[in-house]
Amino acid sequence: MSLRSFLYSTPVFLTIFLLQEAVVTQLRLPLGGFNLLLIVALIWAALSTPEIGALTGFGAGIAMDLSQSSSGPMGQWTLVMIIACYVVAFLGYGDDNIRANPINIVLLTTVGVVAARIFYLVLGILLGEQAGNLQSIFWSLAGTAFWTAIISPLVLKVISFIHANVFGLSSRI
Amino acid sequence: MRYGGDNRGRLLIIVLIVTSLFLITLDLRGVQVIDGLRTGTQTALTPVQKAGSWAISPLRNFLSDVTSLGRTRNKIERLQAENDKLRLSLQNRKNADALLKQLQGVLDLAGTAGYKVVGAKVISQGSTTSFTQSITIDVGSNSGVRSNMTVLSNYGIVGVVKYVYPNSALVQLASDPAFRIGVRIAGSQQIGIMSGQGTRRGVLQLLDNRTRIKEGDVLLARGSQGGRPFVPGAPIGSVTDVDNSPGAVTQTAEVKFYTNFSTLGVVAVVVSGEGTDPRDALVPPKPIPTPIPTVTVFVTPSPSPTN
Repeated sequence: MSLRSFLYSTPVFLTIFLLQEAVVTQLRLPLGGFNLLLIVALIWAALSTPEIGALTGFGAGIAMDLSQSSSGPMGQWTLVMIIACYVVAFLGYGDDNIRANPINIVLLTTVGVVAARIFYLVLGILLGEQAGNLQSIFWSLAGTAFWTAIISPLVLKVISFIHANVFGLSSRI
Repeated sequence: MRYGGDNRGRLLIIVLIVTSLFLITLDLRGVQVIDGLRTGTQTALTPVQKAGSWAISPLRNFLSDVTSLGRTRNKIERLQAENDKLRLSLQNRKNADALLKQLQGVLDLAGTAGYKVVGAKVISQGSTTSFTQSITIDVGSNSGVRSNMTVLSNYGIVGVVKYVYPNSALVQLASDPAFRIGVRIAGSQQIGIMSGQGTRRGVLQLLDNRTRIKEGDVLLARGSQGGRPFVPGAPIGSVTDVDNSPGAVTQTAEVKFYTNFSTLGVVAVVVSGEGTDPRDALVPPKPIPTPIPTVTVFVTPSPSPTN
């Protein structure tokens, strides 16, 4: 990842972070809504190499840790996002069957979002946080999956376009 | 071909993971720098969040309305039903209050005169198709009501019982064109006959042509033998217009009934008025005029200047 790519990526994620904090959190959607930064980071990672995916996860994770809605210690989301974005990028990288098909990316993102949240939950329990009852956890995860499956196709084209301009046209869907 | 990664990539991942674990450790140990970072971010985000909240509020309200559409409708329907129920209850209460006031008035009147009465509720207003004026009350022979008994309201005479049934009775109103009653003028004790005209005004015919009546004179029932059909002393109305036509055989006058026949709710049937004559005790008191305040201005003349 060159300095140019990093400089171009930063305002994109900063904007997404501001959108998430200023707009999406105000919508009060049913079933818990969605996290735009999480979705964008995973889509971005799915289109990138594992190293860039891990770096993307690191940046997005730091931002999510700084979010008002974050309850865990600083670094918890960072750790989760590094691993989640790396895994998603690792699964998608070099396999055109996944990367060239938008449906696969949406599926990968949706599964990645749910897996990241489960990982965050488990990590939180290990760090001594309260998790709530199983039913509420289940509905929250189901709601996240539902909204991610809806939002991902809507933002995929835009993210793909920006990603292609930052890293080169070869990754554009 | 699957990505296998290289040493540089693995090192990057390890560094990033170690960094995140380092951050977690620092935060859990309560390092001030981490708290300050979060606080600073939140401080910087607050204006953006406020602006976002302002900008998104119409959409948020719309989404809120859409998501709670069913609940809102149910709530509106429930509140409407509750409102209707309360409105009906208030209406009934107002009606009951008005009836209670009428009943209190009629009992006061009967009590002053010493009449024995049976309270009754007006259950229907008779049809005027046949040009008669009547009402039906909810007491009948089972309550001791008989025909030719006087019916009173809180203001005075309403009419007379014409037909009695076990649990109801038909009352001929004083405004009925066929209604006739012997009256006397309170104070002067002049006597005459008053007849209904189909409206709230009746016509008084004095028996003695030499006597004089004037506007405002109060008419009371003269009474019948045994108190039936009319008990003595019951107020009827007041003279509103006197006909002083020269050459008339008898003097006539227009009388306005005290009772408003269109608003009757509760009445009383005088079941025993024999032997009691209140004389002029039931004459309604004249209205007391409200004093008009006067203002007196004192002016002291100032001395005129002299040169």
